[in-house]
Amino acid sequence: MPDLRDEMKAPAEPLLPVEKKLIGWSLSLGLALPVLLVLLNRLAPLQ
Amino acid sequence: MSEAVLSVQTAEPRRLSEDWLAVVIGVGIFALALLSIAGFDALGWLATTSVWIDPRAALAPASKAYAGLSGAGALVLTFLALLALLSAGVFALGEDVKRFALAFTAVFAIAYACWFVGSWARLAAVTPAEQAKYGLAWSLKLTSEGGFIVALLAGLVIANFLPATAEWLKAAIRPELYIKIAIVILGAFIAVTAAGKLNLASSLLLRGVAAIVEAYLIYWPVVYLIARKGFGFSREWSAPLASGISICGVAAAIATGGAIRARPQVPVLVSSLVVIFAVIEVLILPAIAQAFMSHEPLVAAAWMGLAVKTDGAAVAAGGITQALSQAKAAAEGVAYQPGWMLAVTATVKVFIDVFIGVWAFILAYIWTNAINPRPGPDKARAVEIWRRFPKFILGFVATFAIALALALGTPAGASGKLAAAIGEANVLRVIFFTLTFFSIGVMSNFHKLWEEGLAKLAAVYVVSLFGFVVWVGFVISWLFFAGVKPPLAS
Repeated sequence: MPDLRDEMKAPAEPLLPVEKKLIGWSLSLGLALPVLLVLLNRLAPLQ
Repeated sequence: MSEAVLSVQTAEPRRLSEDWLAVVIGVGIFALALLSIAGFDALGWLATTSVWIDPRAALAPASKAYAGLSGAGALVLTFLALLALLSAGVFALGEDVKRFALAFTAVFAIAYACWFVGSWARLAAVTPAEQAKYGLAWSLKLTSEGGFIVALLAGLVIANFLPATAEWLKAAIRPELYIKIAIVILGAFIAVTAAGKLNLASSLLLRGVAAIVEAYLIYWPVVYLIARKGFGFSREWSAPLASGISICGVAAAIATGGAIRARPQVPVLVSSLVVIFAVIEVLILPAIAQAFMSHEPLVAAAWMGLAVKTDGAAVAAGGITQALSQAKAAAEGVAYQPGWMLAVTATVKVFIDVFIGVWAFILAYIWTNAINPRPGPDKARAVEIWRRFPKFILGFVATFAIALALALGTPAGASGKLAAAIGEANVLRVIFFTLTFFSIGVMSNFHKLWEEGLAKLAAVYVVSLFGFVVWVGFVISWLFFAGVKPPLAS
């Protein structure tokens, strides 16, 4: 098994552009979709 | 990492996967329960435990048709049936049946004893009428489902103070299998509950979409960013960690580890952390929900599904939250129909689970094409979605659909025969829940986890979980479930 105490000594890997894209797109959708769902919830509220 | 902390099979060849085994056993139990509609009571001999003050009167067969059987006799039969069923399952998994059978005997004995203790009126009696019935001036008002907490605590004691015993029990410590079987049975129970209030039930299902958005599109990128930028973890550690904290614990961490081609040990270590924190959440969050959200029971239930990781712990937390919230409401003179809160927690969790395969595919595509591009057949393939799909959910959907069709479209549904049949299957669901709680406790060796240098990984978990996962989960639950109440018991 790897020992994390050793692995932590390795230099940090910088964020690649594709990682930034993944984070950015996920968060954007994650913040926008709940707004849509809240609107849907208002239009069709739970009975 | 010691295998006493967590045992996750990663490479062992199997004749049958654990997910499919859960489907076979869960659907089989459901089918046996349905026989009672045709007049053959196949599960009525299962042992049930009532709230008791005199332990001799606590145990009884589930059905009056087996009244000639003593409570102790029913318990022995229940144990033998489960031993045979699960041993056959372990054989199908290609594992050591003898070791399992010996360990399961001890696991069942301890877990059921915990359930029995949890049904003691001093712990379980809720309403003033119940307290009066048992001649008590006070009780802890945990309901009989307080037995889950007793089982969890017993498991924790064994894991942390009796490590040799925990190691010996390991062959039968299978929380994922137990909870998956329970969830398949739960599908039928939810259907029967939902059939009475179909509009509410379908609306609740639609709200499960919000859970997917939150887990995959809000939690995941934030935890990944914290792990990468805040704590300097590599991509290999950060992705399984983000999935473990955000999505569904063990299964998601392992699926992500496979998708990004991480070393097999990485998701295993992350999974051990997930299990430990799930235990902490199960102990803390239901009590908070009871204290502050008992007037919004469905908000509390959805919150458990969103905040507590691993299927077992989440559904278990939903069960405890339901018991505590209903107990508090009952003490105030409000009696909700049982099952609705558990149904909301399970629905939220199942919705999140369904997309593990899709998310693993997206990560595999990004990793194999942009982060660690390799020539040849190592690229992500669409079949990976199916390979990573948690198959036990098919069992859940099948029992739900069949039970709902029977409840709405047949005389058995209308006459209450179906509810009685599913009630007998539910006896086994409760036992599988208890086995899950005990197993989660036995897997949680805090000391060994610390020894292996997981403190920094744990720090990411603490920051993410208590910094925003719990709070965002609460906000989303509130947005979609505030003001919605379970139907009142008639």
